[in-house]
Amino acid sequence: MRRIYLHPLPVRIWHWINAVSFVLLVLTGIQIRYVGLIDVIPFRTAVMLHSWIGFVVVGSFFIWFLFYIFTDKARLYHPELNPVELFRGCLRQAVYYAHGMFKGLPNPFHLSKFRKFNPLQSLTYQIVMLILVPLQCVTGILLWDLTRFAKVVEWLGGVRVVDTVHVLVFIIVVFYIPFHAYLAALGRTPLEHYKAMFTGYEEVEDEDSGAAD
Amino acid sequence: MAGLGAGDRRQHRSFKAGAGGLVAAAVMLAAGAASPAAGGTLSNGDEHCLSCHQSAGTDMPLANGEALSLHISGEVFAKSVHGPFGCSACHSDIDPAKHPGDVAPIAGRRSFAVARAKVCGSCHTDQAAQWNRGVHAALVRAGNPVAPLCTSCHSPHAVMKGAAEAMDTVPCKACHGAIFTAYAASVHGVLRAAGVTQAPLCFGCHGAHDVKVPTAGAGMKDVCFGCHVDAVARHQEWLPNTLLHFGVVSCPACHAPKARRKVDLVLYNRTTKEDAARPVGVPEFESPPGSPAAGRTGLDPATLFNLLRTLNRPGAVNQTGIKGRLDVRSGAEAHQLTAAADAVSDCNTCHKAGADAFQSVTISVAGPGGIPVHYGVSKDVLNSAFSINSIGGFYAIGGTRITFLDVLLILALLGGFGLPALHLTAKWLSRRAANRPRDSERKG
Repeated sequence: MRRIYLHPLPVRIWHWINAVSFVLLVLTGIQIRYVGLIDVIPFRTAVMLHSWIGFVVVGSFFIWFLFYIFTDKARLYHPELNPVELFRGCLRQAVYYAHGMFKGLPNPFHLSKFRKFNPLQSLTYQIVMLILVPLQCVTGILLWDLTRFAKVVEWLGGVRVVDTVHVLVFIIVVFYIPFHAYLAALGRTPLEHYKAMFTGYEEVEDEDSGAAD
Repeated sequence: MAGLGAGDRRQHRSFKAGAGGLVAAAVMLAAGAASPAAGGTLSNGDEHCLSCHQSAGTDMPLANGEALSLHISGEVFAKSVHGPFGCSACHSDIDPAKHPGDVAPIAGRRSFAVARAKVCGSCHTDQAAQWNRGVHAALVRAGNPVAPLCTSCHSPHAVMKGAAEAMDTVPCKACHGAIFTAYAASVHGVLRAAGVTQAPLCFGCHGAHDVKVPTAGAGMKDVCFGCHVDAVARHQEWLPNTLLHFGVVSCPACHAPKARRKVDLVLYNRTTKEDAARPVGVPEFESPPGSPAAGRTGLDPATLFNLLRTLNRPGAVNQTGIKGRLDVRSGAEAHQLTAAADAVSDCNTCHKAGADAFQSVTISVAGPGGIPVHYGVSKDVLNSAFSINSIGGFYAIGGTRITFLDVLLILALLGGFGLPALHLTAKWLSRRAANRPRDSERKG
């Protein structure tokens, strides 16, 4: 086993800001949407918090975006353009999670400095970071001040359309967060990947570390 | 204004039928009408007119069976603002030599009043022009038989200075009685009655002659801001998205806290931004609003969706959209204004499912003169997935949320937590198999 530096500081800062912010956005979002059914904090406070935290996520997104665009780490988010390869890789990983893991079979994916996401992770993160988060940021900003962005909102079909997109992404995030937290606990020990996201170092087996560097 | 085509001369010749006893008055008018006196006294000519017209029971039968009172109180007329001008100022068409013998029949009181409005306008040109731009004139043009004309509000022989500015004599309450009662009990009415002249009476908000349609949009908000100049700043201290609220929530919706609220959806032209006229050939808009044929519950979500799709079919000249506005349900309720401290300031009043504000929904199209015509709509449209696009222009967080998305959220929660829980369970159940050394390891 040896340690490799897999999560640089900007990525870790972004990740934990994002993680905490998304949880808070989900909670305040639920409070805003279900006021009367859930009354933990006042509606107005929830709206204010939701807006401010939303801007934190927007800022955090730019940390992530600028870091990756100005470093060679951008390779991590390069999409697999060969659909057959993409499908094969995802299927292999899904079969491992759904079957191989229970049989004690080895994980088909091996960590390396420039290959830290398995095919399923890679596809998921590309969808999350390149589609869903930007979509949520844009719709959130529009909803934050509908008067200022009235023309854009109308062009998009109206406030109800924008809000529906925002809520749909919110629903996907609600589904994604517990899944993400659970999958992160499927390392050699439940806290292995969590620790790595604080320290930056992942422990890999010797054969793994050299696999694709 | 086709009804005004009849000339004053013809109208006044019509005095003939019931005014046989007024021949003497005509003679007197000819003798002295040109020299009206000032200071609450009348000229000799006017006195001569009044010698007949002041008599009680001088009613003139009209062609439609109505009777037109010809009685003028000389004392009141002398004190009125028109007194100094004398009878002939308005009745110049009367030929004293022939009066009252040469009077053509009058069809009815209404047509007579319509014709007389032109006489008023000959002096009161500004007011006449304003009236022509207002909702009352639009109603007259549309053939409304009770829409007010000059003489409906101003008794021409008894017009007193300041009468329209006093609560006791303001003419609006003659037609808008329920509204005036609500006003009198409101913060504005109470202050006005207490002598605070800054508190508005009817004309202060609605204009005296160019009365606008108060429910035609957010226009009334600007009227409120005319006095409450710091309203935006004061609301911005506590109300998120203040300008948005001002755009889609009428002032009374919050400042008349006991009023029942409703959502008024408005069909509008997306190019011109003006309210759209009644769609032609759409069955739901063919029957008069509120009639049995229009249905009890009104347009349902699917029908509204299809309506928009039909109106916006490929090749349609104008694209139609629906905007929405939270308002109170009646004009009387719009006047139940309270002090600011008593206004609704709890967000939960509207931003929760089942809020009172969303139990009544109408859809409006522009009627004659821009006056909105409201048709009933099922309240389900506010929470239906069909409405995501069709009423994209109105949404209140929490209050009008799409029910279908709630179902998706529950499924997401179940899936997000349930699937990992299932996986964890399966992992725990298969722990022995997973930890068993593999053949390759055993061989090694």
